[in-house]
Amino acid sequence: MLTFVRRRIVSSAVPLVVVILGVFCLARLTGDPAKLYLPLSATPQMREDFLARNGFDKPLIEQLWDYLEGLFTLDFGESLRTGQDAAGMALRAFPATLQLAGATMLLAIVGAVLIGSWAAYKPNSLADRLSGLLSMAAASMPDFWFAIMGVLVFAVTLGWLPTSGVVGGPEVWVLPLLTLLIRPFGVLVQVVRGAMVSALSAPYVKVARSKGASEPRVVFGHALRNAAPPVLTVAGDLTVGLVNGAVVVETIFGWPGIGKLMIDSILQRDFAVLQAAVLITAVTIFALNILVDLCHALLDSRVRQAVTA
Amino acid sequence: MPAFPPRSTPRKAALALVLLAGLVAGSGCTVANSDSLTGGADGALQIALQQEPPTLEPCESSLTSTGIVVRSNITEPLVERDPTSGALKPLLATGWKATDDHTWTFTIRDGVRFHDGTPFDAEDAAFSITRAVGSKLGCNVDGYVFADSKLEVSAPDARTLTVKTKDPDPILPLRLSFLEIVPTGTNTTSKVREPVGTGPYKVADWDSGISLRLDRFDGYWGTKPDYPAVRYVWRTENSIRAAMVASGEAGIAVGLGPEDGAGDLGVAFPNNETTALRMDVNVTPLNDIRVRRAVNYAIDKNGIVESLFLKLGEPAGQLVAAGVVGHDPAIKAWPYDPAKAKALVAEAAAAGVPVRTPITLIARTAQFPKVAETAEVMQEALSQAGLNVKIKMLDTAAHLEYQLRPFVRDAGPTLLLIMHGNQAGDAAFTTSQYLKSDGPQSQYGTAALDEMIAQAGEKTGPERSQAFGKVLAYQNENVVQYAHIAHMRGLIGIASNVRYKPNSASTDELRLAEIHPAE
Repeated sequence: MLTFVRRRIVSSAVPLVVVILGVFCLARLTGDPAKLYLPLSATPQMREDFLARNGFDKPLIEQLWDYLEGLFTLDFGESLRTGQDAAGMALRAFPATLQLAGATMLLAIVGAVLIGSWAAYKPNSLADRLSGLLSMAAASMPDFWFAIMGVLVFAVTLGWLPTSGVVGGPEVWVLPLLTLLIRPFGVLVQVVRGAMVSALSAPYVKVARSKGASEPRVVFGHALRNAAPPVLTVAGDLTVGLVNGAVVVETIFGWPGIGKLMIDSILQRDFAVLQAAVLITAVTIFALNILVDLCHALLDSRVRQAVTA
Repeated sequence: MPAFPPRSTPRKAALALVLLAGLVAGSGCTVANSDSLTGGADGALQIALQQEPPTLEPCESSLTSTGIVVRSNITEPLVERDPTSGALKPLLATGWKATDDHTWTFTIRDGVRFHDGTPFDAEDAAFSITRAVGSKLGCNVDGYVFADSKLEVSAPDARTLTVKTKDPDPILPLRLSFLEIVPTGTNTTSKVREPVGTGPYKVADWDSGISLRLDRFDGYWGTKPDYPAVRYVWRTENSIRAAMVASGEAGIAVGLGPEDGAGDLGVAFPNNETTALRMDVNVTPLNDIRVRRAVNYAIDKNGIVESLFLKLGEPAGQLVAAGVVGHDPAIKAWPYDPAKAKALVAEAAAAGVPVRTPITLIARTAQFPKVAETAEVMQEALSQAGLNVKIKMLDTAAHLEYQLRPFVRDAGPTLLLIMHGNQAGDAAFTTSQYLKSDGPQSQYGTAALDEMIAQAGEKTGPERSQAFGKVLAYQNENVVQYAHIAHMRGLIGIASNVRYKPNSASTDELRLAEIHPAE
């Protein structure tokens, strides 16, 4: 297993390096931040001072070296916009996104396993058709539209929930969670249903039934374990998408997460914060991918044997 | 055939899920990055802004996102401009007079204290001016309000401040109404994030990314404001800010559009913003004045205001709105005459002007409601006139590359959609930026126009207004760098339990002392 982990780390390190270099180069292609931060009548001297103060007057290779040095000490410099420590800003924002993504995927997986298995248990039944319709609708729902309609109905018209914000009790979670949940839930229900339909028709299920296993044990003990790998792959992909920044939800609901921070940093040419936010996100996604692969190996001995061979 | 799984697997999976659920629930449903907030049952007025202030540095208060919180709330200037009448009123200075052509003397108010308890005197005023104007701090107020002004500031005694200017400056008190006063000892080498001021509110808690709370300053020298505290929150999405007012979560929501859903709670007000197309006069075919006139005739300003802005504005014929010194009501918007536009383009083409050269119409995303549709309407109108126009939508930073000197090189002929807000109330601030041939946001000008601007700047009273009116008329007749579109109107959401009358400065300076609970 250690060999497997080592191989995965090595193969993931290359894309990580590409991301680190890519964000540095692409950020600098977006233009000169001096115009955003200096007054209209800034003199050439003020401009030079600004560039020197923020290290933009150095040759690009030297700026890159400073950036790479900073990676090891988590020192990305100061935010041009707020003057605060860039790494601190990213590290403060990231847990808010992780919480939201974690809670969303937890609910999506549990809900999808229950409903997808129920639909697959009796293919073409009313339950199957109903879950198919609902999951298709959920998977195709535009999240920004759902969010705005949710605010209109539940916050403005009924007054049951707050419109936005993060201060308060569990009620502040409801609309952001539902908005973020709806698409992964729809996709996962379809994946679980498909995988379970083929698992439940496999010979080992008939053997289990003939040996007197109860139906819940047949479905959740035998079939689900064998249907899990494709579900895990899709769920991993969806989780990566959420960790990468639930930008729409964070923007609409004023959620102080990493996606909103990244967008603001791009718009404000705040290179230090952008670099810090992208790196933290990339490392997390890198770790998440290894975790998904490990789970795959644990669930399927064929994968385990293939990678350790 | 796959092996049967060990019996414990479902239990392990269930355990993992329970642990994960516990992780989320264990946080007590509290969102990370939101620890220090206290909730809303404290009598605080909640205000929904478009964006978080990047800083509260007082010398950056000419930036809308900073000024709307800081100006006259946390810090105060020496004099204050009444946004409705345009008159200057005493604030931290009780009086001022020009002692000669180059010198202004201010009498400093007694009995004022900063939030940290230190008394305010003329030394603080002199320090604040020196810190912000012509210093290495690179303050925005320096560029926008003081431009190239060279000031000599002194405090002969605790209650007297003198300011000498290199050239006669009849509007120096107006300029100083933009300069917020901070105590001596405030950092002069870097900007401060949370300032100390003399205003009716002081910074209590700034939770980055979430909210900013100001508490009423008990030692305030003037009339105490009604609300004991004010909490600013920021929501980028307009419809959410409108919903916050509609649901009673916020007392005030700024920067709304007519279709955001505020309904009867949305109050319109003139915001001194004017939209226009700036034409790059240095490149063909826009270097031909017939083509530039054709652009003016081709655009249906009334149609844009009626259909796209939903009547929140009026067609414009000049860069400054009514209420600004220099605005001339006699200057009307160019008439909409597509036939004349077509004829002018044809005439230019016949004279050898390459009118089919592609022209780029550059607009800024989210600059105002329906900005993309406005650009499309203008593109179609100009195409009908015989020009070849393509649209380029940019974000703020990229748009600034075209808007400010040094301009983007080799961009070809461009029509830049701008929105100019003159919050100072005097056309000098507009003409020096947008019309002077070397203005930071001007691509063209003439020696005659520069001379007219310089002469107008030295006048006072009605003569000053007339002189700037002539400058604006001259632009339309002889220079035609701009095709004006509309004087805009803003929309602010005001909850039913709040009383506030917005004015032309509300977008940049939301004075909390003017907001009251509804009776």
